[in-house]
Amino acid sequence: MNRVLTGGALIALVFACALFAPLLATHDPNEQDLLNILLPPSFAAGGDPAFLLGTDSLGRDEFARLLFGARLALLVAVSAACGAALLGAVLAHIAGYFGGWIDWLIGRAVEIWLSFPPVILSLILMVGLGTGADKVVLAIVLVDWTRFCRVLRAEVLVTARRDYVAAARLAGFTHTQTLLREILPATLPLLITLLSLEMGIAVIVEAVLSFVGLGVTADQVAWGQMIADARTSFAEAPWTLLIPMAAIFLTVTGCNLLGDGLRRTLDVRLVTGRA
Amino acid sequence: MLEARHLVIAATLNGEPVEAIHQLSFTLAPGRVLGVVGESGAGKSMIARAIGGALPPGFAITGGTLRLGDEDLAGLPPRRRLEMLGRDIAFVPQEPITALNPVQTIGAQLDEHLRRLGAGRRRARRARALALLDEVHLPDGAALLRRYPHQLSGGMCQRVLIAMAFASRPRILVADEPTSALDVTIQARIVQLLAELQRLEGTAVLFITHDLRLAARICDDIVVLYAGRAVEQGPAATLLTAPLHPYTRCLQLSAPAMQGPRRALFALPDRMPSLNEVARLPGCHFVARCPVALPDCVITPPIDRAVAGHVTACLHPLRAAGVVCADPPAHAPFASRTPLLQVEALSKRFRTWAVRNASFDIREGELVGLVGESGSGKSTLARLIMGLERPTTGRFTFAGKAQMVFQDAQSALNPRHGVGDIVTQAMQAGRNRAPRVERMHRAAALLAEVGLGEDMIDRYPAQLSGGQRQRVNIARALCAMPRLLVADEIVSGLDVSVQAQLLALLLRLRTEWGIALLLISHDLSVVRHLCDRVLVMHRGDIVEQGVTERVFARPAHPYTRRLLAAVPPDDITAPWQPFPDEMEAHI
Repeated sequence: MNRVLTGGALIALVFACALFAPLLATHDPNEQDLLNILLPPSFAAGGDPAFLLGTDSLGRDEFARLLFGARLALLVAVSAACGAALLGAVLAHIAGYFGGWIDWLIGRAVEIWLSFPPVILSLILMVGLGTGADKVVLAIVLVDWTRFCRVLRAEVLVTARRDYVAAARLAGFTHTQTLLREILPATLPLLITLLSLEMGIAVIVEAVLSFVGLGVTADQVAWGQMIADARTSFAEAPWTLLIPMAAIFLTVTGCNLLGDGLRRTLDVRLVTGRA
Repeated sequence: MLEARHLVIAATLNGEPVEAIHQLSFTLAPGRVLGVVGESGAGKSMIARAIGGALPPGFAITGGTLRLGDEDLAGLPPRRRLEMLGRDIAFVPQEPITALNPVQTIGAQLDEHLRRLGAGRRRARRARALALLDEVHLPDGAALLRRYPHQLSGGMCQRVLIAMAFASRPRILVADEPTSALDVTIQARIVQLLAELQRLEGTAVLFITHDLRLAARICDDIVVLYAGRAVEQGPAATLLTAPLHPYTRCLQLSAPAMQGPRRALFALPDRMPSLNEVARLPGCHFVARCPVALPDCVITPPIDRAVAGHVTACLHPLRAAGVVCADPPAHAPFASRTPLLQVEALSKRFRTWAVRNASFDIREGELVGLVGESGSGKSTLARLIMGLERPTTGRFTFAGKAQMVFQDAQSALNPRHGVGDIVTQAMQAGRNRAPRVERMHRAAALLAEVGLGEDMIDRYPAQLSGGQRQRVNIARALCAMPRLLVADEIVSGLDVSVQAQLLALLLRLRTEWGIALLLISHDLSVVRHLCDRVLVMHRGDIVEQGVTERVFARPAHPYTRRLLAAVPPDDITAPWQPFPDEMEAHI
């Protein structure tokens, strides 16, 4: 339960930042102030109260960039994770439930897919697709659906052998009904865990792609870009590097904690004892 | 040797102190076999765990003594206890296959055990291991040492474990339901083996079982446990021929007989009180279910007293004889001649033939038993009939609907659906889904039909007892109004009193609704009690079929004879020869 609360609080914090970014930010994230470059955070020596977390090498407000970066991070995290989950879960359920040649076909597809190194694959995809947040999402979905497919297929396989699945078929359930009513509830806790883990992974992938400049266009703010920009000046201004890193770390930790906690709470198999 | 004096094992559950074992006293002398008999939840395993020093978290010995020789097992330093386990005290577990490490060979596991016992150098240990395997009559020991547990049958695994248990020549051996996971023929062999080694070594054996019939055969003394209390104890022979506690008598009467005319089973109502409930009962714990209770039983706690050679905790021990069954049920074979299911030369091949040329009929309202050992193809045949498997050759015709009641109620009920949804599953199938109100209405009716209250509708399977789950399982099958129920081992693993309730339910469904039944069971006494006709399967073939009385009285096929002989006879003074065809009892 503590995991859900901690994880949920972290994610909610990031969500709030993303949602209220225009209200919270005191500067435009792209506004350059070349007179005030590499200012330390306001609470450190030499800081300027106007720039809460200082400025980067172009004099842009770190705090504003952090807030607007959260928007992109969450947008990518949620849509990419959901997309990958949907694609992977659908294929996993079909493969595990029907078995036979369908399973063989999907299984081989996953294996071929997995034989490409994921980073290279996403880089190739980004080169082909071009930059932009939607392209980043698409690239993550196309690379990471295999993760869902593999793990969920195993769970579906176990569940499909249970007698209650046979009982449902004997009761006259169609395949779709059986899948949705008997099998999906059993795989859902795992799906949710994977989903929130994937959100964390998507945040990192988006940061990596933005870091190498293949993520979003230059006018969009991304945490990965902030790290990339901070590379040149991190000796004089380490905070420009540490601040976006901390943001990524907290978001990913939040996702992981939430996912693990939800799995434990959602599983009614753990409800025992007589009522 | 092993002696318990007023032993109390207690814990705190939901804030209340509860006693899992209450004032238990027994003595286990060298060379004797003490049987601990009772239904699940009575506290049988708690005794084994107390001896092994592995009580469940929260439970502890809070009173009395448990001594082995001159040492108190309760206050033993952990180091000394570790020394004793596997050396002075040996265990034979319930699930032989899971008790062995699946990734180590039998040889490695035996060797590790022998090394711990200090059995010399590598070569000496190997010789000792081979000698041990020979002692438990496992042929070709050298090859066996290289095998992994999954390459062995359950019976062979149990033999290996017995060999390990006897390796240290232990002073006491605790066998916790050592045969309940095995087939009857294997059970007979394992029990004989245990008895043989026990006589040879003079070991004291604590034999824990739910099977009164088996206990009668191999135990010298018996303790009957009910809700953590020994309700009766004494020599096996007198205790079972003239029980002095109504519970012992009820247990005997609720198990179906193997000889003599078919009689009704005694149906103990309700179930054993839980640990929390027991704490609130001032008088006898059995009073709520006792058929011969008197008013004073409710308030006066019974004290142990010795009557006719055994000790009983009943205020009115002479009333036990007054427990009788209801009249024998109207059990004439069902009159209908209309065939419901006709199976013709049905076969199924996986890698080998699982079912070969099965041909039989089931008539309207007929109760047919299908018996055989595990792996004989019983379940495959059932799945073929239900259309869950496709036959390789052959065909069958069906005049009506069939439904299946699954073997393992745990796996048969989706843990994520409520009972109300589970039993009315058939009404949600396809496009014409019934509204929820209508379904819950039907659910209540179905649950009433199987003897469950309406309050069960909102429960989840995890909140039900084994017997309740099996009832829900049956109720679900009834929802589609089938003409035939195919029931796969639905009473195995249940306590006799619950089993008797379920058998009565199945009989009632036939009398009231004319539902036919194909009952798959490895328990011959159950089939004998319930079924009009019986099919015997052996390695995929139906080797014998016919009217139950005829098959049981004059079995024609040698395999049927072997199956029947493996069950100990009802009369405990009658000789039991499990393997009549064999010159040597152990091969």
